[in-house]
Amino acid sequence: MIGSSAVLDRDELAEQIGAWLTQVGQGDRQAFDALYRATSGALLGVCMRVLADRGDAEEVLQDVYVTVWGKAAQFDRQRARGMTWLTTIARNRAIDRLRASPASALRADFDIVETLSDPAPSPASQAESAKERVRLDDCLQELEPRGQILIRTAFFSGQTYEELASRSGSPLGSVKSWIRRGLLQLRACLER
Amino acid sequence: MNTTSDRYEDESGQVPPSDDVRAGEYVLGVLDADARRQAQARVLNDPTFARLVEAWEERFSPWLLQLEAIAPSPQVWPRIRTQLGWAPVESAKPGLWNSVGFWRGASALAAAAAVAAIAIGLRGPVTPTAPPPVVVQTQPAGDESAARPVTVLARDDGSTGWIASIDVARGKVAMVPVPTPAEASGLVHELWVIPQGQAPISLGFVSNEKAHTIDVPAAVRRALGVGATLAITLERQAGMPHAAPTGPVVAKGGIQQI
Repeated sequence: MIGSSAVLDRDELAEQIGAWLTQVGQGDRQAFDALYRATSGALLGVCMRVLADRGDAEEVLQDVYVTVWGKAAQFDRQRARGMTWLTTIARNRAIDRLRASPASALRADFDIVETLSDPAPSPASQAESAKERVRLDDCLQELEPRGQILIRTAFFSGQTYEELASRSGSPLGSVKSWIRRGLLQLRACLER
Repeated sequence: MNTTSDRYEDESGQVPPSDDVRAGEYVLGVLDADARRQAQARVLNDPTFARLVEAWEERFSPWLLQLEAIAPSPQVWPRIRTQLGWAPVESAKPGLWNSVGFWRGASALAAAAAVAAIAIGLRGPVTPTAPPPVVVQTQPAGDESAARPVTVLARDDGSTGWIASIDVARGKVAMVPVPTPAEASGLVHELWVIPQGQAPISLGFVSNEKAHTIDVPAAVRRALGVGATLAITLERQAGMPHAAPTGPVVAKGGIQQI
């Protein structure tokens, strides 16, 4: 058959984002503009997962891109993947903002039970990343149920040990212990 | 209680977690403000710890990449520019959207932005329907990764219908439409390459709303050369790719540079 069409796959996209980051690191404003257009939606999604207020999330987003402009020269395409690098910065900034706020007033309202049935996969996620996500989810499944719930909730809400303990009504020591054990099991499973 | 769990029961912090677990806790986001700051300081000053953190970031990254994208408000970009000490908006010239020069410079980014919107899951129109504030700079010559030459497929009224970016080596044509409503007729768009003086060869379906790439069979690649024309016609979905076009030409453009 002549000519079959397919949406550009994630690998090509990842490659392009890495290329832009490299150019941004060299001070290329056009690449920065392109990078913003291609990635700002995803990064705002990351910020808003943790911060309830759109205004706060967009302030963090602004800060993230200013940081990216300054730090892109440190991005190493051989060692890191562009989207992972970017989303990690966004998430860290969002959690920093959460921690800096009094009484965590900014936090997205988060129900621990809800996390259990979190409809994880977004239909647009593709190939390579989807495979890794399935692996992460599979490994999480191997943990005891409490560990699973706590780790998912912690990751998606950015709550501290103390907040998780108070929300789940479990002793702080137990929460720490479940999460730490879960982390070690998760790592062991992912490294298998 | 066995020794394994003893090691992790540290409510009062008697048994500090290993560095690796600490790094995991930091990435998971469970540390309070003080502990978080300490971890961040260690990331900066302790390369071993920084590597542990990176490994955890990598492990959890699939969860971050799956989150639904949310389009930022239009004012965020000008604010970023302002904070960097640039003009808030570098305004586009009139007619820019239809200018080949603009697309030469912008195609890679526009295509990739459109594609990113698809791949990352942004809802709504995936290609720019109106020129957003853009930074327009002269594209430095020879910068391949930033801008591959493009072919503009213009409609009869002169407006841009599609932008094609041809990668002969890999046999791919990236097509970015300026989105239009679907045809009421139920017909769909088919892309053709017409080598000079020869009959059109179908490259198959092309979307009028989403950016996508078309794989070009090896036998047809040599047809994709300077001087050939790319054209889009309206055709029936059935039987695609067709042997010859039957419908009206919707847009076309000559390949001037590859």
